[in-house]
Amino acid sequence: MTEKKKERIDIHAYLAEMEDIPGTRVFTAQRARKGYWLNQFAMSLMKEENRERFKADESAYLDEWNLTPAAKQAVLDRDYNAMIDEGGNVYFLSKLFSTDGQSFQKAAGSMTGMSEAEYAQMMINGGRSPEGVRSKKGGY
Amino acid sequence: MARVTTGITSSHIPALGAAMQTGKSRDDYWGPVFKGYDPIKEWIAKPENTPDVIVLVYNDHASAFDMNIIPTFAIGCGERFKPADEGWGPRPVPDVIGHPDLAWHIAQSLILDDFDMCIFNQMDVDHGCTVPLSMMFGEPDEWPCKVIPFPVNVVTYPPPSGARCFALGDSIKAAVESFPEDLNVHVWGTGGMSHQLQGPRAGLINKDFDLKFIDMLINDPETLSKMPHIEYLREAGSEGIELVMWLIMRGALGDKVKDLYNFYHIPASNTALGALILQPEETAGEALDPRVVHSGHSLEAAE
Repeated sequence: MTEKKKERIDIHAYLAEMEDIPGTRVFTAQRARKGYWLNQFAMSLMKEENRERFKADESAYLDEWNLTPAAKQAVLDRDYNAMIDEGGNVYFLSKLFSTDGQSFQKAAGSMTGMSEAEYAQMMINGGRSPEGVRSKKGGY
Repeated sequence: MARVTTGITSSHIPALGAAMQTGKSRDDYWGPVFKGYDPIKEWIAKPENTPDVIVLVYNDHASAFDMNIIPTFAIGCGERFKPADEGWGPRPVPDVIGHPDLAWHIAQSLILDDFDMCIFNQMDVDHGCTVPLSMMFGEPDEWPCKVIPFPVNVVTYPPPSGARCFALGDSIKAAVESFPEDLNVHVWGTGGMSHQLQGPRAGLINKDFDLKFIDMLINDPETLSKMPHIEYLREAGSEGIELVMWLIMRGALGDKVKDLYNFYHIPASNTALGALILQPEETAGEALDPRVVHSGHSLEAAE
């Protein structure tokens, strides 16, 4: 036998902790699997010809991507929180808001329930404090 | 022989590239950011400071790698890499020119040193790689040095641990030092600092965490490298996990470092931004004046 390995991280405890952060969906394997086609659809928008086809008929283009009805609706509504619930990841989804000519700040702000101006002002004021939004269980 | 002379950290947010392209880099919003980078640009433009090669550690933002392939640590060994089209057309910047001899040397050395690297030759590089180059070198017709792209997965969980990143940096240092050609090599760690781009908690910034992170990165990286992922997420936001990549840079500089320049700013779009020049203490050059610059809201001017 080789020497005993270092102490291992308990994967179940690790993954459980990832779900303990308020207002946050960490891109775990479970979400990555759920969002596979949604994210691959978003990647397809890296090609100009695909962006053109998507813009010409969004619904028809989305039908090519094996999406759940909820994921399709979330894209049509540009509801980024709903897309993340469907397993979307913001770096993949950035291809969608870039196709729409939107900035990262506008897209991120749209998930907070704040107006674009309120969100921009919050950032200028030093951003959102971590106070009270570190842990659901701990409440700190 | 080749040497890692310098470690640099930089933000890589796309909005910085956009500000340059649209002529907004000196407006009220972006001015302080670009002003904070001016001393780095001047420093790196001096011939004795300009690297021959940069090992540029960054994360691919779902540009070259989609859900089909997710390498934890990858190294670009090709001759050249084109800017990726991330949805608004490729960034109008020069191709990144690689250094296949050194890249393959590093790749082989790392594998023999127990880091099981993913090697790629053909890949487009996204804003994670090209925005730091623009911030340091401006808008030249070609980049003034060779670049070895070194993407790290920090998107799909789990990313590599801080300790693994720190150890990888040490192995990169050893690999560079066993390359016979006389080269000035930089290792850059990009991304960060605190930020969250998703969900109701988007917009999170944690100045106290960031400033402590910078201090520990310089003075006690070993302890810092043991910080678990959950602490990055809780304290620095879901995308603040990019900071593990800074530990690769730090690991490549050896035990003691001197910070030649230390810039921190809030906010750059959704993020807090940190830009550092570090050098191994025994070969460190003169610190810049001022050495520490803090700007933006809620920050007292340093020094």
